[in-house]
Parts: sequence; structure tokens; C-alpha cells
Amino acid sequence: MADFTIEYPGTLAEALSFLDPDDPSVRPVGGGTALMLMMKSQMFHPTRLVCLSRLSEPMTGCREDGDHIRIGAMTTLSQVEHSALIAAEFPVIHNAMKNLANVRVRNVATIGGNLAHGDPHLDLPPIWAALGAEAIIHGPSGQRSVKVEDLFQGYYETDVADGELITEIRVPRLPGWRATYRKVTTRALHDWPAIGLTLAARFDGDRIADIRLVLSAAVDIPQRLRGAEEVLRGHRPDAMLLARAGDSAAAEAPMEHDSRGSVDYKVHLLKVHILRGMNEIGKG
Amino acid sequence: MTTRHISFTLNGRAVTASVQPHENLIDMLTTAFGLRGARESCGQGLCGCCTVHVDGQAVSGCLFLADMAEGTRIDTIEGLGGADGTLDPVQQAFIDAGAFQCGFCTPGFVMMVKTLLADDPDPSDDTIRHYLSGNLCRCSAYPEIVAATKLAARRIAAEGRP
Ligand SMILES: Cc1cc2nc3c(=O)[nH]c(=O)nc-3n(C[C@H](O)[C@H](O)[C@H](O)COP(=O)(O)OP(=O)(O)OC[C@H]3O[C@@H](n4cnc5c(N)ncnc54)[C@H](O)[C@@H]3O)c2cc1C
Ligand code: FES
Ligand code: FES
Repeated sequence: MADFTIEYPGTLAEALSFLDPDDPSVRPVGGGTALMLMMKSQMFHPTRLVCLSRLSEPMTGCREDGDHIRIGAMTTLSQVEHSALIAAEFPVIHNAMKNLANVRVRNVATIGGNLAHGDPHLDLPPIWAALGAEAIIHGPSGQRSVKVEDLFQGYYETDVADGELITEIRVPRLPGWRATYRKVTTRALHDWPAIGLTLAARFDGDRIADIRLVLSAAVDIPQRLRGAEEVLRGHRPDAMLLARAGDSAAAEAPMEHDSRGSVDYKVHLLKVHILRGMNEIGKG
Repeated sequence: MTTRHISFTLNGRAVTASVQPHENLIDMLTTAFGLRGARESCGQGLCGCCTVHVDGQAVSGCLFLADMAEGTRIDTIEGLGGADGTLDPVQQAFIDAGAFQCGFCTPGFVMMVKTLLADDPDPSDDTIRHYLSGNLCRCSAYPEIVAATKLAARRIAAEGRP
């Protein structure tokens, strides 16, 4: 293992000054759970790690901000799991935590690291996307925000540049919306899912007033299934309609064969879980 | 190699250690302190054999940079028993319930059960399974481990001590 240094900036400005827009071997550390695995497997050789653990608000904690909730990038998954605010506003996030990794990983892994890692198998990024959340990003030239839906550019590739940091996630409160995340793994919880499917919808009586579907794990990046959404929007979700939505979703999702199943198998899962997911949130 | 000197609290004592940047907590606990209760097995956060507490929270020592221990409080299995050799109620319950065969996984399970009982002194079977789902026992002592957890919970409640 080649030598490297570890810095502990005390402010956001200091953190940004330790990063280097031109050097991918300088990386920020949230909890380090993903970075440690990449370093152990020799996939990543750092020259400098910039540990964000000494930064405080807005990088830490969950808070209300008008019709949004803001979550600091350094908030651990356990803190989000046990936040009464998150459980009340976004039960879908609260519920997903129980089946995400294990207690020890959640105690250390951060919301920002989970998002910045860019792994399409992770559970939270597709849910943030379906909730319409945005990532607040700070860099040498100031602050910008990107919808989580648009954050991912390819397998392990994100819109966050070297030299930039995700500081917060900002999630709109969604009164009247109901959401579910369906993670389909082959048995053990540490298995990456064959597919992940997030469904978020608002109903008007028994009709779907608005809906967002996000597919993850079976694709390179969490992906909105806009064709299937179009099929469902404005209609009553009966079996015929859900079958049509499933066909549309299967046609628009570029799923790939891998150790977690064939394309046929994943297409089947996708259709089944659109049906079950809609039944789940349709009941209220 | 850049060596840094860090200070932290280990099992209630203020200590210092020299660490190299790539070392994890388990590397440091074994080389600098000769503590071998937490051991690296899978090295990936999955098995729990390396469980230690950092500032009261269970973590996988195999995925935690030693350098980041600066200023923290670290507790390991070696710190659980009393100075006179008495065992922690969780350790004693594991013995009484026969909750191990080879014992390789035991320190990790005991440290996870300590966390569990701190969070929930009277856990349901579901909660026990949930907390321990990240710990693997190749001897498959799972039923006895669940029984030991309940036994420890009952004894701690009866004694009225943590
Ligand atoms: C045993 C195990 C099981 C797991 N199971 C699951 C699971 O079931 N579901 C699931 O979703 N995930 C799972 N994971 C993955 C886990 O969610 C990620 O490892 C974790 O969320 C990464 O967060 P971190 O803070 O540790 O990231 P780090 O390792 O610190 O960083 C990850 C990446 O993000 C960058 N980064 C970190 N913070 C920022 C920031 N603020 N701004 C910009 N870039 C940043 C780093 O430079 C690095 O490239 C599992 C991991 C392990 C070890
Ligand atoms: S060795 Fe750390 S979890 Fe297995
Ligand atoms: S007792 Fe042997 S691994 Fe658990």
C-alpha cells in the first residue's frame, strides 16, 4: 500500500481547499465503508483522504426548512433511521433502512457517501430520486444543486466533480404521496438486489393523480420509468392497466444479465413488483 | 510511510498509538495493544467478527481507519469483564446457554448483543435477529445465541444494572 495522508478539515472552506479538482486520487471520506473496500481490493490508491467527520451543520443532522426537509451529507444512516422527523415525513426511507446492510455499517456510513458512491445497487439513491430530492453541491466556484434523478451519469459515475462535495440532500415534503421501495434479493441481505423498484404516487380517489417509478440495481444508474408512469397517470390501477405499465417498463429499461439473474427473470420481477407495489400503496 | 501518533480512550484508559494511514482499527488493536478478541475475518463488514464500539456505537473495525480513532472512546471485548475476572452478564449468558462451539465469532456477537441491550433492554426475537443479522457463526450456534441474548436481558433486568 502506497503512502498517503489524511486531513481533518474543521470547516467546509478548509475541506474544499484540501480537495483537488485535477486529482482523482484525492477523495473525501464520509464513513469510509465504501472507500475502505475499494482500497482493500486495490481498486483505489489514495494520495490524500479528506475526512469530513469534524464538519458540523449544515453537513450534519436532519431539519425542517419550510416545505422541504434537509439532511446533512455527514448524517449517518443510523441517525436517519432513528430520526422521528424522517419517519414521519418519509416512511419509505425509514423502512428501507431495516434491510440496508447491517447495524454496524449503518452506524458509520453517511447519506452523502451513499449518494456519491454512484453504485446503482444501493437502496437510497433511487428512493431519493422518486421523492424528487436534490443534492446540494459545494465546489471551488460556489454552490449548485442537482436533482438526484440527474446525478448519476453511468456505472459508479456521478455529476459530482473531483474538488466538489455533496453537503446536503434537500427533499420536498410530499403531502398526500405514498411510496414504497421493493428490494428483490436472492436471500441474504448483503446480496445486491436483482432489481430495486421505487413507486411513489399521489391518488385522487381511486385514480393515480401523479406517479414516479424508479428502477435500480438491474440498470447502470437509477432510472425513471417514464413510459410506464405515462400509462398509469390519471387512471385507476386495475390489473389490465398494471400489466400494460409492466410491458412499457420492460420495454424502456435496458436491464442486463448478471449473476443475479437473466434479463427475462428481471423483466418478470419488474412486472410482478409494479403490480405488488401499486397494490401496496394503493391501499393507503 | 507517514506515521501519526493518535490519542484516544481504550477500554476506559487514555492511550496513544502510532498508526499508519492504511491501518484499520483491528490492525491497530492487534499490533499496538496485543488485543486479539476482535479479529478480521471477512474484512468486508459482513461477518461481525471485528465488532468494537466507537463512542458507544458498534462498528466493523475492519472498515474503520485507525487514524479516525483520534479523540474517540473505543471499547473492545477485553474491557467488558471486571478487574477481578468477573464476566459481563452477556459473556456469562453465552457460556451458560452454550452459545458457541469454536468461539471465533463470539467476541463479535457479545459486542453486538451489548449494543442491542443498550438500545432495547427487552428485545423481541425479531429485534434480536435484526441486530445480529450482520454477524455470522460458521458453527451455527444461532438458536443458542438468541437464547443467550434473552438470558442476559433477563438477568440484567433482575439485577437492575446495565
Ligand atoms: C457489509 C456491507 C453491506 C452493505 N449493504 C448495503 C445494502 O444492503 N444496501 C445499500 O444501499 N448499501 C449497502 N452497502 C453500501 C453502503 O451503503 C455504502 O458503503 C455506504 O453508504 C457509503 O457511505 P460512506 O459514508 O461510508 O461512504 P465513503 O466510503 O466515505 O465514500 C464513498 C464515496 O463517496 C465519496 N464521498 C463521501 N462523502 C462525500 C461527500 N459528502 N461529497 C462527495 N463525495 C463524497 C467518497 O470519496 C467515495 O468515493 C453495504 C456496505 C457494506 C460494507
Ligand atoms: S471482519 Fe469485519 S465484518 Fe467481517
Ligand atoms: S462458534 Fe464457531 S463460528 Fe460461531
